[in-house]
Order: sequence, then structure tokens, then C-alpha cells
Amino acid sequence: MFKRKWTTTMALALTLGLVLAGCGKNDAGQNAAEPSGSKDAGGDKVTIQFMHLWPEGVSAGQNKIVNQIIEAYQNEHPNVTIKQEVLDNEQYKNKLKVLGSSNNLPDVGVTWAAGFLQPYVDGKLFTPLDDLLTGELNGKFVAGTTEAYAINGKTYALPLEFNIAPVYYNKTIFEQNGLQVPQTYEQFKQIVKTLSDKGIAPIALGNKDRWTGSLWYMYLADRIAGQKVLADAISGSGSFEDEGLVKAAKEVQALVDSNAFVKGFNGLSNEEAKSEFLNGKAAMYLMGTWELPNFTTNEEIPKSFRDSVGFFKFPTVEGGKGDINSWVGGPGVGLFVSENSKVKEEAKKFVEYFVTKWGEQSVTGAGVIPATKVDTSTMDLPQLYIDLFNEMNKASSITLFADVQMKPNAAETHLNMIQALFGKAVTPEKFAQEHTAAISKGN
Amino acid sequence: MTIGDAGRLQNNSMPAARPEIGRKFGYALLYVVLVAVAVLQLLPLVWLLFFSLKNNQEVFDQPALSPPLNPHWENYAKVWNAGNIGVYFLNSVWITVVATVITVLLGSLVTFALTRMKWKGRAFVLGLFMVAMMIPVHSTLIPLFSMFSELGLTDRPLSLILSYVAFNMPITIMILLGFYYALPREVEEAAIIDGCSVNRMFFRIILPMTASVLATTTIINLIYNWNEFIFVNTFISSDTNKTLTVGVQNFVGQYTTDWGAIGATLMISILPILVAYLFLSDRIVEGIAAGSVKG
Amino acid sequence: MSNKKMIALYVLPALLLILAIVYIPIVLTAFYGLHEWNGIGAMTFIGLGHYKTLMQDKAFWSSAGHSCLLAIFSVLSLILYLIVAMVLAARIKGANLFRKIYLIPMLLSSVAIAQLWLRVYHPTNGILNSLLVSIGIDNPPAWLAEPSIVLYALFIPILWQYAGFYILIYYAALKNIPSSLEEAAKIDGANALQIAWKIKLPLVMEVVKVTIVLAAVGSLKYFDLIFVMTDGGPNGASEVMASYMYHEAFRAYDFGYGSAISFFLLVICLLVTWVIRKLTAAKDTIQYS
Repeated sequence: MFKRKWTTTMALALTLGLVLAGCGKNDAGQNAAEPSGSKDAGGDKVTIQFMHLWPEGVSAGQNKIVNQIIEAYQNEHPNVTIKQEVLDNEQYKNKLKVLGSSNNLPDVGVTWAAGFLQPYVDGKLFTPLDDLLTGELNGKFVAGTTEAYAINGKTYALPLEFNIAPVYYNKTIFEQNGLQVPQTYEQFKQIVKTLSDKGIAPIALGNKDRWTGSLWYMYLADRIAGQKVLADAISGSGSFEDEGLVKAAKEVQALVDSNAFVKGFNGLSNEEAKSEFLNGKAAMYLMGTWELPNFTTNEEIPKSFRDSVGFFKFPTVEGGKGDINSWVGGPGVGLFVSENSKVKEEAKKFVEYFVTKWGEQSVTGAGVIPATKVDTSTMDLPQLYIDLFNEMNKASSITLFADVQMKPNAAETHLNMIQALFGKAVTPEKFAQEHTAAISKGN
Repeated sequence: MTIGDAGRLQNNSMPAARPEIGRKFGYALLYVVLVAVAVLQLLPLVWLLFFSLKNNQEVFDQPALSPPLNPHWENYAKVWNAGNIGVYFLNSVWITVVATVITVLLGSLVTFALTRMKWKGRAFVLGLFMVAMMIPVHSTLIPLFSMFSELGLTDRPLSLILSYVAFNMPITIMILLGFYYALPREVEEAAIIDGCSVNRMFFRIILPMTASVLATTTIINLIYNWNEFIFVNTFISSDTNKTLTVGVQNFVGQYTTDWGAIGATLMISILPILVAYLFLSDRIVEGIAAGSVKG
Repeated sequence: MSNKKMIALYVLPALLLILAIVYIPIVLTAFYGLHEWNGIGAMTFIGLGHYKTLMQDKAFWSSAGHSCLLAIFSVLSLILYLIVAMVLAARIKGANLFRKIYLIPMLLSSVAIAQLWLRVYHPTNGILNSLLVSIGIDNPPAWLAEPSIVLYALFIPILWQYAGFYILIYYAALKNIPSSLEEAAKIDGANALQIAWKIKLPLVMEVVKVTIVLAAVGSLKYFDLIFVMTDGGPNGASEVMASYMYHEAFRAYDFGYGSAISFFLLVICLLVTWVIRKLTAAKDTIQYS
């Protein structure tokens, strides 16, 4: 009895030993061969691996659309199987990086624009999709969306969403305090003062996430220094030490001093800050149009609140060079095809199909604004959605979110500096210098 | 706390029961503190239960410890119906158990050899095991993934088991070490004189003698393995091979998070480990005494 | 079977596993640390360049300071854990139940613990500030947003998170002491404090030494709650070495630099362990008899 136990243990130990001894000899890689099938497979079985970040549990709208599109595609192409893997935002980014480093990217996946994309393009892991743009999808995208995914004249991903960031406000709170939508920054500051004097938090901001504060800085920069100066500073052709941009940084700190933001904003996540707005505890919230469902169709949020949400454009600053129709925003996520995919052609076809179908369905199914042109006139949509959709179409310019556009290292510096600026841990001048230093490093 | 404790024991050791005010007071104080801490330690579980029955609005708006006014039981339904929770659950159970058993067994063998056998390089080998717990887990992801992918182990449970065993081995050995150092040698010496083989001695005498620390390391390993998610996310891509911890992710969306459902997932996933813990916790008894009797 | 084979049989399975699963990554981390690498493209060898940068990297040294502070607090709190374990291991009524309850929070995953403590520290409707307001403190601090207090505010949940782990180990060690020893001491007229100090403590000393190393090393590479609760902020006020490494490697795509940080972190852990071992080295090992 005892002997047998011992032998089992031995066997186990030996197995482990063997497994390890097998290192290096055994790299035939059964799993690397998983997506099998030849390149121009007419009838051959093909599996396309698709990694995305719309889990069934919460991004229900998107998840349903993804599944519908996949099902329809598989029905049209019986030889193709789409295998999904779903992760959350943070884990998705990590995994993509790990997969990228060992050249194991999924055939199709989700990517962000500009700076995020750059290392993958430099490492030749994403394949150019320009041929798709000249094909069936020619002219289907909203102007300015695919450009965010282009590097050295080639487009490496096709955008799905398009967002701008308005200032949402709580009409009830505004009415109760006799406030009007501000046209100028002076009026805006007056609103902040009135609310803060009455003990109401004027603005919900979760600056633990940092990009949230970046939106405020970007708008102030745009309105004071003008869109071009801001865009040039981000791209590196201009400088953050521009007088107007430094002034914008000063204005940020002036807002902090006037108690414009909720208490403890530098320690709150966007999620927590958003809840302050959703619970009617804060009057304003500057955020992307992806939040629209929460203000229109999301049944979990009381209808009385949803009905009381309005938006206004970031007001113009007296003497500033900005235009009220200039927005901060840009495409959200897009789809890439792996350069080393064994089923590249099929994957591209799938992406083309996916992008086409996504546009219309995402408007009605998920309440987000797609990057492809859709005719919304025949759809039954909430007014808030329609208004913002129209604003987007008459935008004079849309500046891509700074942290998205900058290269990863510079983006980190930018975000850290934003938190420091809001926390008054740096002076506006130092804020500008750090940006210059980081951007000039070029990574 | 200790004062109260001391007072009681001291008085107990006295032959005549002399009920004094001091003794009673100390005793009462000790229990007040003990009960207060116990309540505090139970609150997290209560909080989690309440949390799991609220929707996002309530999670943020209501005080954290306020009971849900209209409990959202549908959070549990959501969790149960979304994705492959049943499959995740089974995977969690068997992967956790297998990894834990291997870790504790191999760890015991090593510790026995390190503390009870004399050989060259003991200190060096112990050093190797200790250094192995000094690397941040995120640094290992890229190298490990490449290695597993070369071996064709990615997306297989074996990659998880190997990682769990290897990464928990150092800490397991460290804990065992403290106990093995303190084991009396007399029992072993007697056993060897009796002609007992080393293997027999290890399994029949040493393991039972270390029952309490075995239970301790088992509990610790179970908890670590049960709650692990970085390796699962990185090495596993098929739904059929994922574990319960990724169930949480099902409710973390691109722009919104369903906190109530996350609470329900956490609540469901804590139950099995709670049962295992309560069961194993009773095994932490006077191990050495037990071993001595058998020896 | 010869003795050598015997030892090999006992040690090799675990050792080989560790060498393959842990040491290959350690060696590769050291290797990446000598290169300029964004994790995806080509690597450029730069020798000790990253380490030179590291020496002058204020953000890193500030995070290292935070990690060391955490290590000190963790080691000190072991005293408290040991006292609690001694109370729980004493033969008082209900000790068994208390012990079970006390260790329950240890079962929670860090996701749950982080969410719980975020609710505790929420600046306006958090448990802590609601309490403070109700006892008349008007403007309690936003615990996780104040650079001067955020680190200490984080230490509390971290120390609490690990309390169960150490109490469990101490408890098992104390339970391992044969009751005959205690009885004998009592007959000799020793009181409970004396028994704890003179008999129990020396007998669990080996275990205590081990936990000192575990607490120190564990703290130096600590990551979990900090990452979820503050992400190292605000302005790096709660950044620790492991979170700094993560930010450099995974956010800033500086995998070479991140690897250098990891390897340096490993060296620091090694040094600290060596010092602890030297400081706690016993002249002779005490055993039960």
C-alpha cells in the first residue's frame, strides 16, 4: 500500500522532470499551427482568431453586435470559423504586448490609434490595410478617422468608433441655481463660483486616470492658443512652452483653486467621478460621446436623471485664438490584422465585413457613434445623440486626445504631468518644460 | 489583550479558584476586544454580500455598509448565465487542487532534504529557492509566454499548473523550513535505529508530524492559486481552459463596469475557498504530538 | 539506493521546475535589462546604460523609498500578528471560532479588497470620512488624493491583507509546541507572559525569522492594491518599485528599462535577505525535546 503511493509520487516527479527536460527539443509548436488553412482557401477550413474587449456581461450592446456579425459572416463563409477571445481593457493591452513580443498576435484584434499603434508598426506586426480602403470601403469613413491609424502614409487599422468630448451638464442643477449654459469662459468660471459657493461640486473629474484631466487642459489650450498651436505641440513640430499653452496650464490650476472639481479628484477613478455626476452630486462632466447610452437609453439609470442631461461646447476664452466648433476627440478603437497571420487574406476580408456591418448596428445597438458614415435620418434616436452627431459633422477641427497621439513614453510623461499640474505639484512652466523634454526624446 | 490573557492563565494555574474583580475584568476586556475584532473581520464579507446585491447607482451612492433596499438578485443570475461560469469553476477547482498538492508535496521533499540530510551545496540550493521569490511577476510574463509557446503549452492548463507550482514553491519551502528546523531529531534517530528507510520515515513520521504546517501551506497555496489571474489571462486564450478569476472580467467593459455583477462573481468564488479553509483550518492541530505518538 | 540518489530524488523535481519556470525569466530579465527594447521590435545592446539612468532616476528612488518604508512597516507589524496569534493559540474559550473568523479576510482576492478599501477611503461618502464627519470633523482629507498621506493610507489595507497570512503561520507554529512544555513551566510557577516570552517565543523563533524575510521581500516587490487603488499616484506619491517597473515596461513600452528595474529590485531583495539572515543568525538551533 505504502509502496504504491510512493511509486505514484515518483512517477509524478519524473513526469515533471521529463516535461522540463523536453525544453527546446519539443518546439514543434502544436498551437502555433492552430490557425490552419492556405492563403487563398476557397473551401479549406480556416480559423480566424479575434481578440477584443467587449465582454458579454457589460458591453452587452457591442458584444451582441460582434456575435451577430460573426454569425452572419460564418454563414456566408461556411469554411471560416471565428474564434473569439475577450479581455478587459487593462488585461487586453498587457496581453497584446506579451503576444506581440513573442510574435503570437491574434489574426484580428483591437488597437488604439497613433501612439499605441506605433511600436507594433515599427516591429512590423500589423499589416497595412490600404487596399481595403480603396476597395469596398472607399469613402465610407468619416473624414479624419483613418488618418489616426496611418503611419508613414500607410493605414494599419480601420477605426470603429468616433468620439468627441462635450461638457455634459445637469439641467436640473443649473435651473435650481438660475444658471445658463455658458458661452464664454468668464461665464463658465462664474458658474463654477456660484455652484461652489453653494456647496455643490461643479465638475466631476476622476483624475486618477489622468487622461480625464488631459481633456480639460487640451480644451483650455485649444481655446487660448488655438487648435494649430496645440496640435503642433503634441506632434512635436511646435512646443508646449508656447505662451498660450503655458497660460492654459495656469488656467487649469486657477480652476483647481476655485474648487471647480470634486473633492479628492486626483485620487478618484473616472468611474467614481462619473457616478458623482450620475447621482446628481456634481453639475458638469467633460467626457467622450461614448457615455451617451448612460444619458439616453441605459435603463439602470433613472429616467428623470437621463432626461435632465444636456451638453454644451467648451466655451471660448476672451482674447483666445480658439474656435467654439473645435473639438477634442478622435477615433476610439480600430481593428488590425496581424502581419504574420497565416490567414491574412481571410482576416482582411473579415475586417472589411466587420467594419461595414458595425457602423449601422452600433448606432442602434450600442448607442455609440461609428467611424463609418451612417444615415441617421431614418433611425429613431435620442435627441442628445442626434445633436452631438450633428455637432460632429460641423466641427471645424478635431484634435486627437494627446495621450493617444503621443508616443508611449511621451504619453506617460504627459499623463503624469497632468496629474501633477492638477495636484499643483508642478508649475505651469515646469509642466511645459517636461513636455518638451519628453517629446524631443522621440519614444 | 495580552494582559487579560496573562491574568487569566495565571489565575488558572493557582489551585484555589479565587474570583477577583481584576481577573473578571481582564477576562471581560479580552473578550470585548476579541469579539470587536471578530465583527470587524466579518464586515468585509457582509460588505461583499451587500455590494453584490446593488446596481452601479447604489454601489456608488449608498454608504458601503448599508443593506441593499431592493436587492438585485439578478446580479447572480447575470453571473450564472453569462459566459462559461460552470466551466471556469471546474477548471479553477482542479487546477488549484493539483497545483497545491504538487507544491506542498515537492516543497516538503525539498525541505526535508535541506534540513535533515547532510550534503554539499545545501546552502546554495536553499539560496536558489529563495532568490526565486524575488522577481516581480510582470517581468516573467514575456519570457514565460515565449517559452510556453515554444513548448506548445500556451492555452493549456499545464502552463498554469507549472507556473503556480514554481512560483509558490519558494514561499512554501520557506514556511516549511521554520517548522522543520524545530522538529526534534530524536524521533528520526529512533526510526533509523529501527531500520526504517528514509522514504518510509518521511511519509510515515515526518509528514504526519508536520500536519499543522502542511495544512497551513495548503491553505495559503489554495488561496493564491484560486485568486490568481495574471497568468490565466496571459497564457490561456480558450474559454474552455479559463478559470473563475477571469469571470470578473466579463463585467469590466470598455467604458463601463458592472460592479454589482462583479460583486456577485466575487461572492460566488469565495464560497468554495471558504469551505476548504474552514475544513483545513481544523487540521492545524498539535502536529508534533500526533507524529510522536505514531512514531 | 545511495544517499546521493536519494537527495537528488527529493530535491531535483522542485529544483528543475524552479530553474525552468523562474530562472529562465530571471536570466532573460537580466539580459533584456542590458538592451534598449520596446518589447516588440529589435533590441540594441547598451550595456549598463539602463543602470546608469536608474541611478539618477529620481522617480525610481522615490518609489524605492516607498517600498522600503512598506517593508519596514510590514516587518514591524509582525510583532502585532504574533501577539494576536498567541492569544488565539492560548487555550481560551472560543479560540477556535475566533481564529477561523479572524482569518476570513485573507480569502478575499485583491480585487475585492481594493474595492472595499476604495469605499472606505472615498473622499465624500466613504466609510471613514462619513464616520469622521459624524463625529464633528468638518473637512476630513481625501485620503488617496493627498500626496503626503496616500502612502500611509495604502499601508493599512496592505498590512491588513497580509495579517491573516502571518497569523496563520504563527498560529500553526505555536500549536506545534507540545503542551507538555507549557504544563511543566506552569508547575514551575511561570506566568503566561513568562511562558510566552521564555518558552514559546524561542521555540517559534525559526518561523519568525522566516516570516521576517517573507515580509521584507514580499513588501519590496509589492504591487496589487497600489496598482488598483491609486495606480502609484497622485504624482507618484504612492509609486512602489514594482508599479514603477510596470509603468515603464507596459505603459511606456520601455521593456528594457523595466527589466533593468526588475533585476535591480531582485538584487535589492537579495541584499536585504542577506542582511536579515546575518542579523538573525542563531548560534544554535533550538528544538523541542
